[in-house]
Amino acid sequence: MAESIGTANVEGEVIDLDHLVVMANQIGDFFASYPPERAREGLRNHLRTYWDPRMRTALLEHIDAGGDGLQERVIEAARLLRDRESDKSGYYGPPKA
Amino acid sequence: MPNPRKPEKETITICPYCGVGCGFKAETIGNEIVRMTPWKEGKSNHGHSCVKGRFAYDYYRHPDRVKTPMIRKSIDDPWQEVTWDEAFSYAASELKRVQATYGRGSVGGVSSSRCTNEEIFLTQKFVRAVLGNNNIDNCARICHSPTQFGLTATVGAGAASQHFDSILQADVIMVVGANPTEGHPVFGSMMKRRIREGAKLIVIDPRRTETVDSAHCHADIHLSLLPGTNVAVLNSLAHVIVRENLHKPEFIKARCEWQEFEHWAELVGSDEYAPETVGPIAGLDPEDIRRAARLYASGPNSTVYYGLGVTEHSQGSTGVMCLGNLGLACGMYGREGVGVNPLRGQGNVQGGSCLGSWPHVFSGYRFVTDKATRSSFEAEWGVTLDGEPGLRLPNMFDAALTDHFKGMYIMGEDPVQSDPNQNHIISALKKMECVIVHDIFENETSKYAHVFLPGSSSMEKDGSFTNAERRLGRVRKVVEPLAGYQDWEVTVKLMNAMGYDVHYNHAGEVLDELARLSPAYGGASFELLDRVGSAQWPVNKDAPEGTEVLHMEKFPRANGLGTFMLTGFVPTRERVTEQFPLLLTTGRILSQYNVGTQTRRTANSMWHAEDVLEMSLGDMQTRGLRDGDWVKVTSRFGATQLRVKESVRVNPGVIYTTFHHAESKANAVTSDLSDWATNCPEYKVTAVEVSKVTTDNRPRTDTAQQRPQHEERREPELAEAEG
Ligand code: SF4
Repeated sequence: MAESIGTANVEGEVIDLDHLVVMANQIGDFFASYPPERAREGLRNHLRTYWDPRMRTALLEHIDAGGDGLQERVIEAARLLRDRESDKSGYYGPPKA
Repeated sequence: MPNPRKPEKETITICPYCGVGCGFKAETIGNEIVRMTPWKEGKSNHGHSCVKGRFAYDYYRHPDRVKTPMIRKSIDDPWQEVTWDEAFSYAASELKRVQATYGRGSVGGVSSSRCTNEEIFLTQKFVRAVLGNNNIDNCARICHSPTQFGLTATVGAGAASQHFDSILQADVIMVVGANPTEGHPVFGSMMKRRIREGAKLIVIDPRRTETVDSAHCHADIHLSLLPGTNVAVLNSLAHVIVRENLHKPEFIKARCEWQEFEHWAELVGSDEYAPETVGPIAGLDPEDIRRAARLYASGPNSTVYYGLGVTEHSQGSTGVMCLGNLGLACGMYGREGVGVNPLRGQGNVQGGSCLGSWPHVFSGYRFVTDKATRSSFEAEWGVTLDGEPGLRLPNMFDAALTDHFKGMYIMGEDPVQSDPNQNHIISALKKMECVIVHDIFENETSKYAHVFLPGSSSMEKDGSFTNAERRLGRVRKVVEPLAGYQDWEVTVKLMNAMGYDVHYNHAGEVLDELARLSPAYGGASFELLDRVGSAQWPVNKDAPEGTEVLHMEKFPRANGLGTFMLTGFVPTRERVTEQFPLLLTTGRILSQYNVGTQTRRTANSMWHAEDVLEMSLGDMQTRGLRDGDWVKVTSRFGATQLRVKESVRVNPGVIYTTFHHAESKANAVTSDLSDWATNCPEYKVTAVEVSKVTTDNRPRTDTAQQRPQHEERREPELAEAEG
């Protein structure tokens, strides 16, 4: 089975972009109580574990295009999704200490 | 009422209507149920029951039951009755066509908490192993998904820590956003009994519910907070506890991550959460917050029961974490009489949670992203599985609107009626090309379906349910399935039609398979349940007959310790404005079952013929309304019409309704906001305005649509069992 699950023959974001931005910022709001490094890690981990890859791709493409409307915290954390180093094995689920 | 006809057979089974999961003895003559009596040995009900379980079973033979499969090319065509084989092959060929055209990820499935554990497990297997993606969700998404997230984060297990009987050891009972006397009657009676014996009751709920104030139940403290301020108020309770040193350092040092406690104490101890600050935001007297905090912390045994009033918020998961934090800080875990416990709506919400009908975890809450977990499922199922999380239910509809999601298998659910923002869902369904509804009645969603597979009621199937106290019990076939197949058989046949070869001789073999693949269910089998009656998970080598109280010595987290989450308050974006000055919140009543697909088709409709809008006298007067007037409720999302009723149960500025009847379309007005972590919709807060409707422009006349009744029955409100 292929690694990617991209939807064939369909263009555009999988979910309305405004909605995606609201959802991402809501996660950002939760992690606002955490110290910056843990907030980034928790946010990245949340997106990795709970978001369909097409939603993550859409978010990252939006960030490449300037990330309009997104919290800075969310932008920094989402960028970690591209960083192999952050991909600790077994590190899934709700934020951990 | 004595029944003159002598039953031929008795079958012990479980009531599917709420998370109490009462054991029942079903008495039959031929293929007809003549009586349901509460089972004395049932460990969650001890011979008690309520009107739903006792009398609302007639729906199984209601004339509306669909008995023949149906298909149609377009939703504008009339249904065409077909054989089972034709329906399976049509459904399979359509799913394949959609996947070939739009991609493997363009289809998915949703299961229901009305289904058995076995059916829920098979639905995830169908989506993961046969459709080849993880677009599988279940209706707990819209009620208790934050429970799983919030409790797993703090104490490692997304389930009730206690068994129901544990409440009889409690000194302080804190009920948050739940109304057990109406929603979970048999458990509610047990709670009342404990209160009569002297336990103190704290209720946190915007409404003066029957739990706050009714014949046998009075709350010592009622925090009637504004909808949407749970997290602020719970943090404020925590503020009082840490500032007044009411927490239990020995417990925290021994059982929790101390450093995380310190971070948390710093957050909740800050002035932001002082009762003087939170009181005005939440509409509460600061002194009441203090009293509630002191009472909860003083115990010695304090226990929390909570419901959808905590979870169905944009900070639903955070609210659940707050409760976990409080329990840990005050040492209220690891013995009888304490703990934090969700009260589940439908019969099998806990099972729905445990058995992998989620886009990110397999059964047993193990992540699809984890290679080792995936391998164990791949070995058992003989296919390669997708390692990426799938779409959640609301995201499936979102993705349908952008043409990325085109086909769906819906088992026992009615998203059009039960999910938020109805108009959005209808437009999404209209864009799909293969919607398969598998249910006992045609419903609001099947209007947009292409295949209808007739389902079997819980009276017509074998399997198991897991109730709100993690208790696994046997559902037994009482009568033959009206349409010929039990639901789990239909799912298997659909898999076969798709080309996946699998066979089970009976539902018990499905339980055996799920036991092999879900650690907490490891020791479960029909044989065990037949022998011991029921068992609470974890049931395994170490606990062969199950476990009553969780977290006795350690928490099921990697290091065995409980932890504190930082739960900053983030006000919802849904706020009152000049245009929408009232907050609408929703709930349920005793005699009906959630969206009421079943109970509305029984004599129980006599007790609740329609949903009404509760409003305070002041708010009614400013709008020139009188009791019984028809009113229009308008939000940013839509409008609906209801009859208004003056009520002292709601504060000025807050209005309340139930959501049992499709005609009242409560979900046409609710918002599209959802929990940050799980997308559980924010049903509990919607800013609205209410205005009077004159009879001339009221479009509907027949709202309290009465269905034909099989038998005339009038019974008292709560039928407690004889003996
Ligand atoms: S309390 Fe009532 S609805 Fe709930 S399981 Fe028992 S009989 Fe059924």
